[in-house]
Amino acid sequence: MIDNPVKTSIRPGITLASLRITPAFAAAFGVLLVTVIALFTAPYVGMADNGDFFRIIYSNGLYFNLPDYDSQYFGYFIKQFGIYQYYNENSSMLVSSQSLFIKLALLFNKLLFSKEVFDIRFQAAIYTLLYVAAVYLLIEAVTFKMSRKRGMIVAVLAVFIFGDTGYTAYFNSFFGESLVMVTMILVFASWLLLYRKRYNDYAMLAVLLVSTLILTTSKQQNAPVGMVISLLSISLVWIRRDKLFRWVTLLSAALMMFAGIATYLNISKEFVNINQYHAMTRGVLMESENPETALQSFGINEQYAILKENTYYDQYGTVDVKSDLLEKDFYSQYGFVSILKYYVTHPDQLGLILDTAAESAYTIKPAAMGNYEKSAGKEFRAQSHFFNVYSTLKEKLAPRTFAFILLWMAVITGVYMPSFVAAVRARDYRGMQRLFVILATMLVGLSGIVVSIIGAGDADIAKHEFLFTLAFDLITFQVISSVIGRGISSRKSMPAAPPSVPAPEYAALNNGVSI
Amino acid sequence: MKRGGIIVLLLLLAGNLLLPAPAASAAASPAAAQHILLLYDSLAKGTGKEGNVAELQRLLAAYSTQVTLKNISDYEQGSLTAYSGMITVINSAELKIANSAYLQDAAGYQGSVMYVGYQPPDRVQQALQLKTDIWHGASASLSIGGFTGIPLEVEEMPYITASQGGRTYGGWSFEDGGVQIPYAVSRGEFTYMPYLKQGDLSSMAAAYVLKDWLKSSARPRTYLVLKEIYPFSDLELLEQTADRLYQSGIPFIASVRPVFGNTDFPAMKRYLEALRTVQSRNGSIVVNAPAVRPPISLSDRSLHDKMNSFINVLAEGGVAPLGMAAEGYWTYDKEYSTAGMGFFDSAVLYADEEARYMEQTDTSVTFPSTVYSLPLEFLQGISRTGKAMPELPLNAAVTVDLPEDEAALDSLMQNLGEEWYTFADYKREAHKVVTDINTVESADGVIYINGNNLNVDYTPRTIAADYQYQEKQATSFNKLFSVQNQFFIIVILIALLLFGGLLTIGYRLYRRKYLK
Repeated sequence: MIDNPVKTSIRPGITLASLRITPAFAAAFGVLLVTVIALFTAPYVGMADNGDFFRIIYSNGLYFNLPDYDSQYFGYFIKQFGIYQYYNENSSMLVSSQSLFIKLALLFNKLLFSKEVFDIRFQAAIYTLLYVAAVYLLIEAVTFKMSRKRGMIVAVLAVFIFGDTGYTAYFNSFFGESLVMVTMILVFASWLLLYRKRYNDYAMLAVLLVSTLILTTSKQQNAPVGMVISLLSISLVWIRRDKLFRWVTLLSAALMMFAGIATYLNISKEFVNINQYHAMTRGVLMESENPETALQSFGINEQYAILKENTYYDQYGTVDVKSDLLEKDFYSQYGFVSILKYYVTHPDQLGLILDTAAESAYTIKPAAMGNYEKSAGKEFRAQSHFFNVYSTLKEKLAPRTFAFILLWMAVITGVYMPSFVAAVRARDYRGMQRLFVILATMLVGLSGIVVSIIGAGDADIAKHEFLFTLAFDLITFQVISSVIGRGISSRKSMPAAPPSVPAPEYAALNNGVSI
Repeated sequence: MKRGGIIVLLLLLAGNLLLPAPAASAAASPAAAQHILLLYDSLAKGTGKEGNVAELQRLLAAYSTQVTLKNISDYEQGSLTAYSGMITVINSAELKIANSAYLQDAAGYQGSVMYVGYQPPDRVQQALQLKTDIWHGASASLSIGGFTGIPLEVEEMPYITASQGGRTYGGWSFEDGGVQIPYAVSRGEFTYMPYLKQGDLSSMAAAYVLKDWLKSSARPRTYLVLKEIYPFSDLELLEQTADRLYQSGIPFIASVRPVFGNTDFPAMKRYLEALRTVQSRNGSIVVNAPAVRPPISLSDRSLHDKMNSFINVLAEGGVAPLGMAAEGYWTYDKEYSTAGMGFFDSAVLYADEEARYMEQTDTSVTFPSTVYSLPLEFLQGISRTGKAMPELPLNAAVTVDLPEDEAALDSLMQNLGEEWYTFADYKREAHKVVTDINTVESADGVIYINGNNLNVDYTPRTIAADYQYQEKQATSFNKLFSVQNQFFIIVILIALLLFGGLLTIGYRLYRRKYLK
């Protein structure tokens, strides 16, 4: 066990005019600089509304105040919205932790800018600060004990990946992905810092807990996230001996599980219908060799095969997607579990749909939404290419099959397995945490894919799979940083946490992967 | 000679009787050329009068009258001269009209004028010697045409207490048994109709008044329309319903939902089979408007191609659509009326359930044949002078949803039998539908597709379910690859065995060297 608090050794850094520049500071500053240039200087980069914004903004006291707002859907980023001056009769259409941040941004907006007009850049500013803090913690965890030179290489890599406007453009939008991004990185970083024993364990546990709660409740599809992290974080109970920590950790895990279940139960009816519709029309029916047989297996009239490949948002359709007819004869006949069962019994179809999912699994910023304001004079749906080399390369180069995802998961797990086994042998629970955090991140990413497919077929898949693409980047970044740090299985590797065990035991830690 | 003259006269009469019915009854109406300005002070949202303006729009459409709808406050000076008539709806009992341009133009207007609601202007009051009051009771009975003493729930209802020298329409009797007073009154170019509510007999009463006001002479017809027919409806029950109606001698219209994709699937073929059966049972087909999502952008211009393709699928499948059925607001939308309804010259207009405009316009599109619709329940058990259902003043469709089960079908047939309706055959009128490659026409009960007479007699076929949904990927060198696969499998197995062997040998050597 490694549980004695030890003072951190002096870390590599550059002293410049009495300011010590650490890799974490450099990465955070780099990301901040790029993001500020992209989001806060003209032409402003943001994301156009795809028709989803109304769900979150109306319940938060905002409305579309542009007369030609409708004509800008998908095409142009809009940065200003109206603030309700009277009683807002729109009850919360969507319960999401995102509301907290919109309300906070609204508060600053009212204090500093206007009481009638909301500028979305106030929200972007809040997210940017949190994001920069998250990146700082991440690099702090990854470059811990790394030489200055190597640390700086990692910092540059971090700016390259996490400063990409594919990620940060979300801040200038009401998409939940912005919050998912910030909190997911915080979850990863805080857990890794617990493994490193870099900061106070209680503080890091608090960051982990709060981030997980916000992440889980930010989007309904994130319900499994709370459950996955809850289950794997139970392993944190044993990293310290004191009872207080153990109880606090157990309680945290219980809260995360509760948040996951509550999010699942809180999914609004329409939201369920949208995804349920797509799960059948753009999932089961799409890849089935015989849609009629597939429908019969759910006890649904085979004639519904006509709906194959239809979407909930089709402007013109045979039937109103909210009609009583569909409610009675279609929606009521299947759910998440029955579709899961269907895929389990039809693995060939599951394989096909997973491959379809893998096609879009590496897209960070969907091309369907434009990034510029109309006033910037760019064409409809024009995409920003400022600082997006990473997202472009990733989308172009990543192999687009699900088999690659499985292979990637197997390789990563295999790479970290020896150090995990060593930690298990040494009964070093803290040393085991690195594999747990990687597994948790993988499963969270995988849940993004599976929930998207089972829950909504291939509809809007690039955006639904955001969680996977982020998880992929976090893990890959961690692995590359490991390589940059010392090489994968270097004998000269550093311990996970400062040594607090006798030398022979400590030596056992050095088997396998380390930084 | 005398006898010969009588014979000639009889022959002429017989010939006249045997001649086909006049094509497109509405087309013969002088109302077809009219363009009416419909003004309102408010839409009375949230009150009992909400929807009365929309009801007027739909009634006017049924007389093939083009309408321009405006709020009085938006009226611009001088624009009244462009219209053949003006209807003003005043839904507010207190608010005075402030638009002086309107007041000035209306005061000097020489065309036909109708006022509906509160506060008829002085000019109308003088012309009709009108005195009005407001009935504060909760109900009153209305009689008009063949309908007698229909109790209606009313609320703050303006009514005519006295008028002179004009023509009166229908009559109210109040719950206290008071004297009968007219529902509406007209004289010369002026008509006053104090009360109109959507969804009760007052809207039918308004139809009687409008028929006179628009000088419509066309003989109205009543049709039976089966609604809610989807490809995933119980198609057997649809065929059964068509069969029962046919056996009862009731012609009907089937308003069928369009399908915009997967039209080569067996499911679509079965749908077409059912529609052909409906057609063979004296059913006429109209295309129901598609379900519309609230438009999020104006960029989706696919409606024209979708409707075009669906009508072609029907025509090629031997099903002849003769018109389109849509909510009334479709005729006030540029995109829907042109891209969606532009193929048809005949329309059945339903009451608006939820208007989801894409490109709203204030002026309606008209059709030579337009049918107003009302649900079967509206007329069911209604009090009337004779046993038979009175003739309605306008072309009307009595709508009924496709029964959900046999019990509902039995009940429908019973209702239709009890009420003594006289339903007309839609295909006896002239209808024309034109797509890029097909032309469907009907006249005198005969349907033509691209000029060829369509034989509606049909014996349904069973649709085979062995459809190839997924296209098989074109493959080449199958045999070669299969041999190649097997070759590699063998090579890999040999390599694995070799490695296993080497590992075992290596491990033994290691043990011998270090673990002795």
